[in-house]
Amino acid sequence: MAAERFNQISPSEFFYRNRDLAGFSNPTRSLYTAVREFVENSLDACDQRGILPNVRLVIQAEDPEAKDPRTYILTVHDNGPGVDVEHVPLAFGTVLYGSKFGLKQARGMFGLGATMAILYGQITTNKPVHVSSSTDGKTKDVFEILLDIQKNKPVILKHTTSKARRRGLSVSITLEGDYSKAGSKIRDYVYQTSLITPYATISFEDPKGETFRYDRILKSMPPPPTVINPHPHGVDVETIRRMILESRRDLVSTGNGAADRLIRALGLKSSDAGYDVVARRVAQRWKRLSPSARLPAALATVLKCSPRDLPEMTIHDIDVADDTISYHDGMAGASKTAQLDRGQPYYPYLEEVAAGEPLQSFLTARFQRVGPRTAERFAKFAEFKPERRIGTLDNRELVRLSDSLQAYGEFLAPDPSCLAPLGQEPLRRGMAKFFEPDFLSVVMRNASAYSGFPFVVEMGIAYGGGIQTRGIKAYRFANRIPLLYDEGSDVVLKVINDMDWNRYKVKGEAPLVIATHICSTRIPYKTVGKENVADRPEIERELRLGLQFLARKLSSYMSRRGKAEAAKKRANLYAKYIPLVSQFCTELAGRKAEPKYATMLKAEDGGG
Amino acid sequence: MAKTAKSRASKTQRDILDLLRKHGSRIYDDLDHGRFPNFEIPSRSVGNIVYDTKLRQYVLGKSAALRSSKNTSQLRSFTQLMWLAFFANRLTQEKKSSTLRDVYYSSQAFSIDFDDQSESDNIIVDLEAVLAKPREAMHIFPEERSSVFGDLDIEYTVPGYEGKRMNLSNHPDGYAIGPSLTSAELVGTSAEMVIAIEKGGLFTRFVEEQVDKKFKSIIVDTGGQAPRSTRTLLKRLHDELSLPVIILTDGDVYGEHIAMVIKSGSANAAHLRELTVPDAKWVGVWASDIERYDLPTIPMTDSDIKRCHDLQKDPRYSHGIWKKELEVFLKIKRKAELEAFSKYGLTNITDRYLPQKIELARSL
Repeated sequence: MAAERFNQISPSEFFYRNRDLAGFSNPTRSLYTAVREFVENSLDACDQRGILPNVRLVIQAEDPEAKDPRTYILTVHDNGPGVDVEHVPLAFGTVLYGSKFGLKQARGMFGLGATMAILYGQITTNKPVHVSSSTDGKTKDVFEILLDIQKNKPVILKHTTSKARRRGLSVSITLEGDYSKAGSKIRDYVYQTSLITPYATISFEDPKGETFRYDRILKSMPPPPTVINPHPHGVDVETIRRMILESRRDLVSTGNGAADRLIRALGLKSSDAGYDVVARRVAQRWKRLSPSARLPAALATVLKCSPRDLPEMTIHDIDVADDTISYHDGMAGASKTAQLDRGQPYYPYLEEVAAGEPLQSFLTARFQRVGPRTAERFAKFAEFKPERRIGTLDNRELVRLSDSLQAYGEFLAPDPSCLAPLGQEPLRRGMAKFFEPDFLSVVMRNASAYSGFPFVVEMGIAYGGGIQTRGIKAYRFANRIPLLYDEGSDVVLKVINDMDWNRYKVKGEAPLVIATHICSTRIPYKTVGKENVADRPEIERELRLGLQFLARKLSSYMSRRGKAEAAKKRANLYAKYIPLVSQFCTELAGRKAEPKYATMLKAEDGGG
Repeated sequence: MAKTAKSRASKTQRDILDLLRKHGSRIYDDLDHGRFPNFEIPSRSVGNIVYDTKLRQYVLGKSAALRSSKNTSQLRSFTQLMWLAFFANRLTQEKKSSTLRDVYYSSQAFSIDFDDQSESDNIIVDLEAVLAKPREAMHIFPEERSSVFGDLDIEYTVPGYEGKRMNLSNHPDGYAIGPSLTSAELVGTSAEMVIAIEKGGLFTRFVEEQVDKKFKSIIVDTGGQAPRSTRTLLKRLHDELSLPVIILTDGDVYGEHIAMVIKSGSANAAHLRELTVPDAKWVGVWASDIERYDLPTIPMTDSDIKRCHDLQKDPRYSHGIWKKELEVFLKIKRKAELEAFSKYGLTNITDRYLPQKIELARSL
């Protein structure tokens, strides 16, 4: 340790240095990824509030005469709920700010991608992001924000408020991109996204002035997914550690009101509630303070700040063993550590807070499918006392807890209520509109789970009609996102290719489309690019069973079609030859009138 | 005589027309009652060709295939067969003749779409099998021609020549055995036998040497394997004019079989019974003649030897001269052509060999 220097870097800086991890490796890929992030954020926001989405994507070249790669202005307008004015700077001006920490199905994870796109735009063009948000449809807040990469802080260049015509959010970034190369990907993405989001109207105006518009086919949308706790099988040691921290943070989070109440309880005015006077009075009056005032009192003392500043402070951890408290100082924009003083009256209180919840209530409150009795039986299995305080577990015990959660076989299967499949009817309507096939069948499998993560597979198969492609064309979706690339290694393709299509009367170059949609709280992507799904046996099995079900339907359609075609062919042959036979035999028999064979042909025509 | 000629020709014609009308009416009734008509066609597969010792020829066995107009894979060939019957009916009624090739082209006027001539040829054989009548009876003739020469009076029955008579010894090149000759009435002859000879060259020599007069014979050139019209003529000369038929061929296994086909037919025509002359006699050139007459020879090829072994399996070659000569061929493994007699002078064959063989035939 001695000779080396370790520097802390901000999340912004980390992503700046590793931007290709998030899909911003070159102008082509970056333009495509930026489109995805903004469109998916808009759709997610609408989904969560049950708003039928209208999303308008516009890409313009800043200088139409320039050659690719060049500077583009990418704008996404939506009719979603908008972002509260006080959250706009953090949401669009810091990395890692997002509202998606809960466990539910959503297109994006953690809201990271959009800020990455903003960051990418800023570093390639040095232009701010423009955000226009209206949450009520009456007024809108328009921001221009730059991101301070070193400090991971937003820099507001401009903020105006004006009249709005409608509710929603518009985000516009300026970035370097290559539309001539990324164009087909982006058009595919928009096309396929509208297929899997048939309740959305999505339009795309490309830099050449062409507009691709997909109107909604459905006026109703699937119920939004609910946020639920994780399943015990779905967590690892690190997740448990975070959950424990989060449970403690819940205990130490202070609302705005708490600070004001404390200031009043200490008999001070807000304006003169400085640190020194507060600390002195807290020490004097600790015993008389109400439980709700004790927390801000303790924190203000330890962090050596005024209670007024507490909302800016985010507590990360209280480490009783080391007598330290680590926190993020929002005003300084830095993470800090403060020392706890064992002699102070607040110490036993914080010690108690740090010890956290008993194991039993931690399990029942923070995991799905765990009731008090299951928690008790599990505690016995894992050799913990149910009343053991969760914050006092050491590292070895944490690992034991995590391993036991995985090993314990009595937990119920994961709750699928956090999933939001599209549903059979919307999928059918979408596919019918997009492909106008002769045959169409869809299926939604029952929910299943892998490693504690629930998932649902729904899929559709379409044949003939307006389908122009030859051979099997697969459209893969995961959590309503089209997966466009790296097909080869995807589990869906594996399942499709493993099928013996001859058994289902599908011959080589059949005009066949298969759409698959995997919904899960966590899609097991193979790569960070989120383009292909790993072949987990549970997912593979559901895909296979679903596909076999559809293939059987297709097969019986094909044999009906085959029979009808054969009957038609037969009728045509009869219609061609029997009149000739009739003509010849009439002359041979020396008759004048031809025999009455018309009814015979009719019977064959209808009878086939 | 003119009357007989007319009645014989019209009887053949009537027979064919009756047969065709019978089939046409059956199919007409089927259609009229809403039934899909069909034809029963005697099977010509190898397994159904059997040798009839009484008839001394190959005949078809009992198995037959049903060709149904209901079966879509047979409907096209069913219609082709119907068309051919219809076409044959017109030919017979109008006394017009046509060739196999004509049939193929005529079909195109009726959208009967034969793929090629071999398909239409096959349908013709089908119709022969259904009616058990040779195509010549339906006025359909092959392209191949052979010739006849000798004192034979015939009377034409073909349109435009009805009643016209002709003596077949007026033109030294011989007379082509075509449709008009095949259908002509055989009015009378001074000949006492028929000599069928395999080769055109020898036919000319025989005419030049006046074999017809010297041996009171009608000379027929078979032009190799005798065409069916030629075999029909030979049969008629034998049956109607009671003339014995002797056959002269090259001294090889193929020559022996040319004689056998005239005598007892071919497996290809096992469905027909009016093409054989069971009493015809093969008089040479035998394998044993090669040594007896010390003829110049050619070695037999592998395929000649194979052909010998094949024929040994044929029941007709299991006895008599047929069996014996095959064995000699296999023993000496040499063959001789009719022209080989020229070694002893161009007329040696007519002056010396032929009389001996005619003598032999008479004694058999």
